[in-house]
Amino acid sequence: MRVKKEALVLLLAGGVGSRLNILVQNRAKPAVPFGGLYRIIDFSLSNVMNSGLTKVGVLTQYKPMSLMRHLGMGEAWDFTGRSRGVKILPPHTGFKDSDWYKGTADAVRQNIDFLERNPADEVVILSGDHIYYMDFHAMLEYHRYKKADVTVGMMVVPMSEIHQFGAGIINHENRIVDWEEKPEKPRTNLASMGIYIFDRQYLLDTLSRDREENDFGMHILPRAIANDNVFAYPFYGYWRDVGTIQAYWEANMDIIRKNSGISPELWGIRTNMETSGLPFDRSPAYFGGHASVSCSMISAGCSIRGTVQNSVLAPGVVVAEGAIVRDSILFADCIVEKNSVVDLTICDKRVRIQAEAVVGAGNNHEIANRQQPKHLYTGITLIGKEAVVPPGVSIGRNCIINCKTKEEAYPGKEIEDGETL
Amino acid sequence: MIKPSTLAMILAGSRVDELDVLTYYRPKSAVPFGGFARVIDFPLSNLLHSGIEQIAILSQYRGYSLINHIGTGAAWDMIGRHRGISILPPFKDNMDQSDWYRGTADAVYKNLDFVEYHEPEDILILSGDHIYKMDYQDMIDYHYRKNADLTLGVIKVDKKKAHRFGIAAIDDEDGEKGGRVTAYWEKPQSAPEADWASLTVMVFKPEVLYRALGENQKSHSFEFGRDIIPLLMSWDCRVYGYKHHGYWGYTRTIEEYWQSNMDLLGENPLIDMQAWGLRTNLEHRGIRDAQPALIEDNGVIHNSLVYNGCVIEGTVINSVLFPGVKVKKGAIVENSVLFFNNCIGADCRLNKVITDVNSVIGERVLIGPEVGTVADQVTLIGWNNKIPDGTIIGEGATVYPNLTPEQWINRVEAGGVLK
Repeated sequence: MRVKKEALVLLLAGGVGSRLNILVQNRAKPAVPFGGLYRIIDFSLSNVMNSGLTKVGVLTQYKPMSLMRHLGMGEAWDFTGRSRGVKILPPHTGFKDSDWYKGTADAVRQNIDFLERNPADEVVILSGDHIYYMDFHAMLEYHRYKKADVTVGMMVVPMSEIHQFGAGIINHENRIVDWEEKPEKPRTNLASMGIYIFDRQYLLDTLSRDREENDFGMHILPRAIANDNVFAYPFYGYWRDVGTIQAYWEANMDIIRKNSGISPELWGIRTNMETSGLPFDRSPAYFGGHASVSCSMISAGCSIRGTVQNSVLAPGVVVAEGAIVRDSILFADCIVEKNSVVDLTICDKRVRIQAEAVVGAGNNHEIANRQQPKHLYTGITLIGKEAVVPPGVSIGRNCIINCKTKEEAYPGKEIEDGETL
Repeated sequence: MIKPSTLAMILAGSRVDELDVLTYYRPKSAVPFGGFARVIDFPLSNLLHSGIEQIAILSQYRGYSLINHIGTGAAWDMIGRHRGISILPPFKDNMDQSDWYRGTADAVYKNLDFVEYHEPEDILILSGDHIYKMDYQDMIDYHYRKNADLTLGVIKVDKKKAHRFGIAAIDDEDGEKGGRVTAYWEKPQSAPEADWASLTVMVFKPEVLYRALGENQKSHSFEFGRDIIPLLMSWDCRVYGYKHHGYWGYTRTIEEYWQSNMDLLGENPLIDMQAWGLRTNLEHRGIRDAQPALIEDNGVIHNSLVYNGCVIEGTVINSVLFPGVKVKKGAIVENSVLFFNNCIGADCRLNKVITDVNSVIGERVLIGPEVGTVADQVTLIGWNNKIPDGTIIGEGATVYPNLTPEQWINRVEAGGVLK
């Protein structure tokens, strides 16, 4: 067998993603469930698999348990074998100056031994935070053709959004000639997707040069652009940073919308279906004699006897007779009991909405959450993991019910718009 | 217990002619069932939950689909130091004695070296063809308690159907649990006095099994039911019956197979796969690659099972849909079982139909009697067919697999066969 010196992949999966609020209370952003069956990181991992790359280091930091369980041995993405593998790279002590990762570049620097152990010509550095489909093999070819030191995956975004990204100014041959990190007054609409290909030796040299350079976008790239060969790899297609509740909800809804450009199955996205430790496999979804379902995604193991519209249901969700689920995202094993209503709501795992309850009541979509007005302001209500909504209770818009909230915690029958429990 | 004491052997090689086109390319045990699984997943899951970890599968007929399905055995946790699934196909050896398995007993006999190598304390032999939930460990415990040479799993059946089974007369030694088998008839032509049918789940004392299989080699018939059990009875061995009280799907005819599928449906289904702990190999046929089922604006689904990967724009009633089935706008599917990756074209009408995998059914195709009416017979469509727009296929008809476009006709009469 030929020994391939194929590119090494480093997946940055330590993101807190704090704007996802209680969805990231117990897990890192890449581990947040998405699209019924998946987790956000499945998109990056599957892209790596489908690009034919087989050596991956996953850099974790924030609440990694859920992520580590999900990765397992990597068999779901075909990463098991003698010369393949997915390695979890948590922060570790014993390093001279610090323990915790201080930034994206610092995280890679602290795992330099992993880079040295795995010889490759290039290192592909990705974020595990995004929903997209991309062929890294093509990007590698481009990188080699351009004889670049660094290639940055970039795409056009609306001018109004460029302040969230690193922005690059390119010349006629796609060489990046100037760089602005999260510019207030943008000069371009070309945004970095947080996808970099480095020549391995170049990366090693760069990281050892200055230990204060902790972030790719802030420090490493501007210097590389000034001194070396940095090219933009243009990306056209569906790409979302689902970093806010609104963006997260919209990307989920895109899957059920026709022609939105996202299709996990066509993209070959795989997930690890065995993590929940169930003694059985999820059976096909059961639809009862009075079920009414339209424009929705229903995963295996669901049991639908009520009405579901414009919603994405993860495995094992139960919707009882007379219940209505609308414009919502329900994570695994939620139970929506008889005659209750769930409207414009994201329910984390094992939430129980008891009979006659209403979640997402009224029309005050514009009354933002009082505690987190920047997280919830479009009407979406969040119910945390394993929370209970007692019978007959009515919860308004932009509300947050924290994880494991029990019946006793409810002050009354009504939770007003924008409240947090 | 470090080393397992039980060796389980699954008889999974038979075709079962009555299942017609469904078993042209696979043994009965590999026939899809339950909207995502295979028949053999039932005994395999039973073994898993019974804590039995050494398994051999005797396969002969068209083993490819079965071997693929078993994979490494990881789906049933059967990999580990003392855990494993071995597939034992027929073989030739240098004595030129071994050849095709001449029957179930012969299949085990030809693999006795494998069996003896494992030094089992008891041997569980079971069929891979049936749909049921059973705790084999409880049966094995009973076997030991009775110090039995052979313990048979049995179930009460209608005496009128007794001619289809091995029938045991059982004394009431242990009431509902079981008792000593006092007489045994294999597929009795006249109605017997007893009504306990063998499930083809048998626990043997190894030395008794070895002796019986050796003796049986002198005969011309090599079946457990027909030959081995009567042989043990004639030797006055301690043969016991262990009574099974739950569901048992024999599914040897198309009608029975269809009925078992219908038993998955309803508010209180007779077969509750999750409660039974059913597991399958999600790698087989890429089940795990399917996204959740997409129900479009006009989709209607009532009393049906629909797995991931389906896209429903039409109407589905009382049916079981395997991964990747598409039902287009205006189509109505009733009382049907659609295997993996079938596409049902716009405005089709299907009533009591079983379609094997990978068929593309054109627009306005009518299969079976009018929807809304009670269908009597199952209409069967073999795999990899492309049915032209507007084709009419009458109730009870059978369409062979892999037909070429030239072989198609506008109308297949009721009960007809298109091949």
